Amino acid sequence: MNKLLFLVLSTSTLAGSLAGGMARAQTPAVNPMPDGSRDMYVGLGAQSAPRYEGSGSRKLSALPVLQVEWSNGIFISGMSAGMHLSGSPTVEYGPLLAVQPGRDESGTSVEVGGVGMNGLIGPAAGEKAMFMTGRLAGMDEIGARLQFGGFYNVYLDPHWRLTSSLLVGAGRDHDGARLELNVQRLALAAGSRHRVSLTAGVGLVNRQYNETYFGVTAAEAMRSRFGPWQPGGGLQDVHASVRWNWVLSPSWMLTSNLQAKRLLGDASHSPLTQRPTNLTVSTAFAYRF
Amino acid sequence: MRPARQLIASLALLLAAGSAGAQAQDAVSYRDAYRAMVVFDKYGGPKNLLVNQLQVLPRERGALAEGLLLSLTGRSTQLNLPLDPLGRTVFPLQKAAYDENASLSLNRKGIAFTLRPQVSIAARADGVYDVAELRSACAQALDFARYVDASQRSRQCAGVRFVFAKKAEAGARLRRPDGTEQVLPVTTAEAEDGFPAVSWRFGGGAERGQVATYNAPLAILPIFE
Repeated sequence: MNKLLFLVLSTSTLAGSLAGGMARAQTPAVNPMPDGSRDMYVGLGAQSAPRYEGSGSRKLSALPVLQVEWSNGIFISGMSAGMHLSGSPTVEYGPLLAVQPGRDESGTSVEVGGVGMNGLIGPAAGEKAMFMTGRLAGMDEIGARLQFGGFYNVYLDPHWRLTSSLLVGAGRDHDGARLELNVQRLALAAGSRHRVSLTAGVGLVNRQYNETYFGVTAAEAMRSRFGPWQPGGGLQDVHASVRWNWVLSPSWMLTSNLQAKRLLGDASHSPLTQRPTNLTVSTAFAYRF
Repeated sequence: MRPARQLIASLALLLAAGSAGAQAQDAVSYRDAYRAMVVFDKYGGPKNLLVNQLQVLPRERGALAEGLLLSLTGRSTQLNLPLDPLGRTVFPLQKAAYDENASLSLNRKGIAFTLRPQVSIAARADGVYDVAELRSACAQALDFARYVDASQRSRQCAGVRFVFAKKAEAGARLRRPDGTEQVLPVTTAEAEDGFPAVSWRFGGGAERGQVATYNAPLAILPIFE
């Protein structure tokens, strides 16, 4: 299981909210506020998501919610943080930091059927792979990565926003890069209890990124059930999501997200990919401080 | 757990959580209103001929009535904001109310509403408006609209609309520089919820003169096309 819990972004900003509950670069809309003030959401919910990208099995996990923005433009949003530098209401840009969760063998449920649980001598690598039903058994563990980059968003009008973010630092050697491009239909109207926003977009990655999360090295091929696989870079996925924020009161909100994602290109053909199309659904209560 | 079960469990959780909140009262976050209203305050362009007000839009038409107040309630804040017949009020930008996450609610329960900022042209006490000044005011309003909404860049100022109270005598006349006067027609605009209004469209040239209203208008709204 990934050591890092996924955090979900929730926002009730007038300009709308962002879709996507996974640990991906996310930037709340710029939030004008009095000097020295902040706007913070904290909450807890549940998420049902694939165990890893491309996995055919799912897991239900607790979902902490965190979003904070300060009057100087600095924000924390789920697993990302950044700073709004633009003074224009129609453009947003700034630096961005984000944590890419790690992945280990227990991305699938590990069972050791029929083998002595307390054996002093463990099975050889090949044997181990034979007995373990864990889908990623034999694959290298990938640690969590701190990525850095930036974001640039443009409002076509108050309802529509084009967003982009570029993050570098993911992957085995910290040299994976991912560019995400989205178009968003934002929800408006202060006072409306239900705010629904839609997002659709694509993710592009470099070769190093795909090699880490969808490739199989020769060494991994030796000790796992997978054949070697060296993916290239390019278009990695197309995704769409709908976020529904139910404003229960000025302080409480129920934020829910449904995201569909389809892996493309070499990522979809990877032997690690059991299901190229996956759904992630989450819901959480958040309190506004 | 099987994937289908997990999905069903998540959706059930979502629905259960949703129904738990169905009893919430009609109140709006002061912070949300603040962030919508402060944009005008921070706008650096010319705006001396404009006013920015918060407007209450009831979900049901005709719900606005005399005596309706917008109440700002926080831990240490309590303000009653009187609404004009169009549901507008001057919005107080208060750090204390923001930090307390204060709420905005109507003094009569059961009225669902939304809020929006409304930028209009400032009314004059004497009720007489130079045409050139109305053009300038409309231009200021358009510049601000373009500042907050990129899609407004292709629009142009076409005129202004004087909106009057239902009980007052509505009307205005155009005074030309040569001393002649023209009474401007009064309409009951659907957009203004049945309030009588006088729309005056700018001519193609640099028209001079004045527009004089019989009574003080509730609002003077720019017309963009």
